[in-house]
Amino acid sequence: MESAPNHPPRAPLLRAKQPKPSGSVLAGSSVFSVAWFHRLTIEQRVLAGFSLVFVGILIVSAISYRNTSILLTNSELDSRGYDLIQLLNNIDAAMSEAEDAHRRYLVTGEASYLEIYKKVVQQKPTFVAYLNDLIRGSPEQQQRVGFLDRMMDRQLNVEAKAISQFQEGGFRAVKKMAFEGAGKRELGVIHQVITEMDVHERQAVGRRVMESAAGTRNTIILLGIGALLQLVLLAWVYYLIRHDITERRRVAEELQRRGELLEAANKELESFSYSVSHDLRAPLRHIDGYAALLRKSVEHSLNDKAARYLQTISDSAKQMGQLIDDLLVFSRMGRQEMLRTAVSLNQLIKGILAELRLDLQGREISWTIAALPEVQGDPAMLRQVFMNLIANAVKFTSTRPIATIEIGVEHPSSMESVLFVRDNGVGFDMQYAPKLFGVFQRLHRADEFEGTGIGLANVRRIVHRHGGRTWAEGVPDKGATFYVLLPARRRDS
Amino acid sequence: MTVAKPILLAEDNPRDAELTLAAMEAEHISDKVVLCHDGAEVLDYLYCRGQFKSRLRGNPAVVFLDLKMPKVNGLEVLRTIKADVNLRPIPVVMLTSSREERDLADSYALGANAYVVKPVEFHKFLSAVKELGTFWGVINEPPPESCRSTE
Repeated sequence: MESAPNHPPRAPLLRAKQPKPSGSVLAGSSVFSVAWFHRLTIEQRVLAGFSLVFVGILIVSAISYRNTSILLTNSELDSRGYDLIQLLNNIDAAMSEAEDAHRRYLVTGEASYLEIYKKVVQQKPTFVAYLNDLIRGSPEQQQRVGFLDRMMDRQLNVEAKAISQFQEGGFRAVKKMAFEGAGKRELGVIHQVITEMDVHERQAVGRRVMESAAGTRNTIILLGIGALLQLVLLAWVYYLIRHDITERRRVAEELQRRGELLEAANKELESFSYSVSHDLRAPLRHIDGYAALLRKSVEHSLNDKAARYLQTISDSAKQMGQLIDDLLVFSRMGRQEMLRTAVSLNQLIKGILAELRLDLQGREISWTIAALPEVQGDPAMLRQVFMNLIANAVKFTSTRPIATIEIGVEHPSSMESVLFVRDNGVGFDMQYAPKLFGVFQRLHRADEFEGTGIGLANVRRIVHRHGGRTWAEGVPDKGATFYVLLPARRRDS
Repeated sequence: MTVAKPILLAEDNPRDAELTLAAMEAEHISDKVVLCHDGAEVLDYLYCRGQFKSRLRGNPAVVFLDLKMPKVNGLEVLRTIKADVNLRPIPVVMLTSSREERDLADSYALGANAYVVKPVEFHKFLSAVKELGTFWGVINEPPPESCRSTE
């Protein structure tokens, strides 16, 4: 209760602030891209969002994979580097040992020193092979190894020569060498090369460590940015979906509200037409009834004029009764629930002609009825359509000695059926064609052809509710053709 | 022609009543017609109460019932009649202006014996009323009075 009064003044401030950043962002980006984006459907936007997330994941994965591979390669290189450093130390030690051992041998003639020297000579190819293996891929080091190999050979050769001189000529022959060491100079060079190689390798390892650290850091940053971007994208997609759902819900509610309103309006209309049918008919019945009673009570003193007046009163009442009935049927036709079944037009027409048989007595009509398709629709309503069209054809050919009425189908296709009823009756002027299907529109005087002018209005309303169209062609005094297009599948009306 | 039992006509509109009576007059059955001006009067007559307290006991030969009437409408009267064991055998003919399917369905569902739409043309109305009066008042054999014995 206490916090409630604080909210209202705050809310407008928040609301006023919110649009600003988004507005400036929109203004900053290209107007074209915004317009393009707004043209996308919600599904396309969500798909675009998810695609971006997917692409982001792919890119982050690819870069992470690359970085990790580099790390792996580096760590492999590192372990080789440490092996190399170790090996160089060993070689250095072995060569020193060889130099030392051969000198001691030269001085003492002790065979054990010769053994040590020989061991180093035996080890040397292994050392070089191992070296070559470890410095694969580094030309600089290979050059050094080649040089080192030659120097080692030279040192060992010089020493071997000294040893053989000693064995041939005894200590005296090698006295000088025994103290100085035959391969002293070479050993110095070897020592120097090994130090160079060692430094080189240590630098390479150091570089790789830094590189790996940088790579790892980059990967972490990339993963972080990628995750953040994906979060933003997902949040955006979530917003889109949520917004869409809210919108849909709102539309559904709105539809439901309108449906309820429509239902209420329909109910009202129904009760309206009910009272029309009930209350409007009663006075008409009274007019006709009392006119009849009046005629009966003054029958003997009634002159022709008065009799005609009374007749007109009755006729008018009847006509209005007919108009009310027609209007009610027309209004019901718009509200009535529609069935949706397969209707055989052949059967339908046959039934209509059977029903009209009595009315056709005394008329000579030549019927041409083609094989008609099966259509989807409300049988009772479609029956009324063709009943009206055929009854019209019969009515407006009544002045012909031989009437011809043709019922057929044009351009039959799986999508739609165009049916027509053609007659050789009085026809009509095409300039009045737009009026034909209007309510209570008549192109003929009442004393020419009777009718209230509701039939074709009913035809059009029913055909429209089936998702179809109606039109007509006519030539005065030659005949008329009425067309009905019925789609194979109904677009919900 | 003689009519053994009265014909009960429920009609709130005096003009309709007059026209109906005029039609029955031609068949000489108008003197047997008892006119009620609303549904409440019909029930008063059937249950012998109110202004019909002292009437001769016995059910009418037929009830001609308008749908739209003040106080108690035709369908309510019909429901009461068909729900009462003693009144149920009385033939009830709906005589109305309504051609609405709903009214037709409701009337038959409640047990109406016939449903006649009053034609606008007087000569058709005349012949309809004549036929109805003759059929239900004269030709048709009404249910025996013994069915009141459950009272």
